[in-house]
Amino acid sequence: MPVLEASDVTKVFDEGKQRVSVLRGVSLALEPGEVVALEGPSGSGKTTFLSILGCILTPTSGRVVVEGQVVDPKKPGKLPDIRKRSIGFVFQQFNLFPALTALENVEYALNIKGVKSPLATQKAAEILERVGLAERMRFLPRDLSGGQKQRVAIARALAAEPAILLADEPTANLDTQVGAQILELFRTLARADGRALLIVTHDPKVRAVSDRVVQIRDGKIAA
Amino acid sequence: MVDLAYKTLLHDKLRFFITVAGVAFAVSLILVQVGLFIGILDNATITIEHLPADLWVTSKNTPNLDFVHQFPETSVERVRATPGVKRADNLILSFMNVALPTGAQETTVVYALSNFRRWGFPWNVTSGDVDDLKRGPYVFFDDSAAKRFGPFEVGDYRELMGQRLKIIGKTHDAKSFTTTPLAFMDYDRAQSLQPDLLRGKTSYILVELEPGARADEVRKAIEKELPYNDVYTKAEWASRSRDYWIKNTGIGFNAFMTVFLGCLVGIVVVAQTLYTSTMEHIKEFGTVKAIGGSNADIYKILAKQAGVSAVVGFVLGVIPSFAIRPLVEKGDLKLIIPTDFAVTVFLGTVVLCLVASMVSFRKVASIDPSLVFRA
Repeated sequence: MPVLEASDVTKVFDEGKQRVSVLRGVSLALEPGEVVALEGPSGSGKTTFLSILGCILTPTSGRVVVEGQVVDPKKPGKLPDIRKRSIGFVFQQFNLFPALTALENVEYALNIKGVKSPLATQKAAEILERVGLAERMRFLPRDLSGGQKQRVAIARALAAEPAILLADEPTANLDTQVGAQILELFRTLARADGRALLIVTHDPKVRAVSDRVVQIRDGKIAA
Repeated sequence: MVDLAYKTLLHDKLRFFITVAGVAFAVSLILVQVGLFIGILDNATITIEHLPADLWVTSKNTPNLDFVHQFPETSVERVRATPGVKRADNLILSFMNVALPTGAQETTVVYALSNFRRWGFPWNVTSGDVDDLKRGPYVFFDDSAAKRFGPFEVGDYRELMGQRLKIIGKTHDAKSFTTTPLAFMDYDRAQSLQPDLLRGKTSYILVELEPGARADEVRKAIEKELPYNDVYTKAEWASRSRDYWIKNTGIGFNAFMTVFLGCLVGIVVVAQTLYTSTMEHIKEFGTVKAIGGSNADIYKILAKQAGVSAVVGFVLGVIPSFAIRPLVEKGDLKLIIPTDFAVTVFLGTVVLCLVASMVSFRKVASIDPSLVFRA
């Protein structure tokens, strides 16, 4: 049974007097432990689709089901709870809190998801060890390399043990070697715990770690 | 729990300093200006506060303590005969000319009683004995008079209304609203110095009530006996005297404008810096939302940052306000910051900083969490 399923999703934005149709009936299902790459040119609707799958945006029409629960687009106030419970994000720009150490960045995400300290501190330290940052826990993001920042971001996404991981261009700001390491780490951690992983990317290396590749063009699934 | 609000606030130390400096400036402005205002008003009623009179009998429609009209001194006999009155005495308050050794003329406010000891007046006597005032052509001056009259010592002579009087004592802290120095002399002496004005006349009748006597009942009885006089309780008379200066000199409006501008400066500085900070951290707030945080989580962050700015800014504003008191006193001014006023300013600072943070609340409410995907 899929942990994340989108059926015939459309999204229309009003831009002034124009209505722009970004997604035109897109469907996708993610199984537990599956790694899927979502590729497509700029403006194809990848990020909009990722936002809808991540319950950040609601679709204009169509249906999204997260861990068996249908997302009601008429109740946007429920979306934070779904994100909190089921979804972990990794961003292209890392989006770490610059005032918090690596450990605190992960711990804060756990706090938001309802895990109290000191349990949150302990869990954050464990996951940072798993991503190889045991020696860098007390460092601020400005003192970490790009690869280390992305490891912190992955740790933050995994910390609350969500069923679904959504990554937006996670290797875009990393060099080739570090990018490959990050992808391998990401896949290993996701698979080990049976999480579904969707990676939006332009990076051909992502194909190598994916179970399947989904192409999106002009708001439709192409392959 | 990780305190994102506190850590983010202190992460940019320069911005934090600018925020609290703005709050501190506003707090100092309000505390010092209002403190000076209270200090000046304190001078306007300081003698009322220090005289243990429960009721003051004045001439009809006397606007304040200093603008006196004399009335027959025999009225005091009818007051003394009123049930509930323990003691009643005449008090003369009169402006008199002082000839200085330099040849210059100055003015002093003379307070004259027949028995100073009985009324515990003047207070803060630093040298001399008030009982000696009735024994000859003697006078007490407050030490603040040195600024207007030049240095003087006990044993010196000064000419008041053309008569030489020996200074036999000094007081401290007896000042008037008009900054005219205060002098204290025997009741008969004052009348002899200004016979045309004061012979057979008094400025006020001080009334002390019997224990258990009701002020309102005694007051009605005195008003019945003296229909051409007014009778005030101590609090009413002090209030009337203060209100006169507040409403007729513009210092009340001045104080109001200071408080208003202080609040405005504080709100604008905090609102502006918090809003700029919010805009700069907008992606972080978007991230908070993306990882499952709600608007309420972000409001708490902003409110906490505003609260911390308010508390630190208040402390930094209070310190210089109290530190400059010795400097203010050197200028013969008083800076009075009552505890309840300081507490009010503190609460006001917190409330206004929270109000200022609401400008950012609106921005936060409209954050599109999908901005986290934008480069």
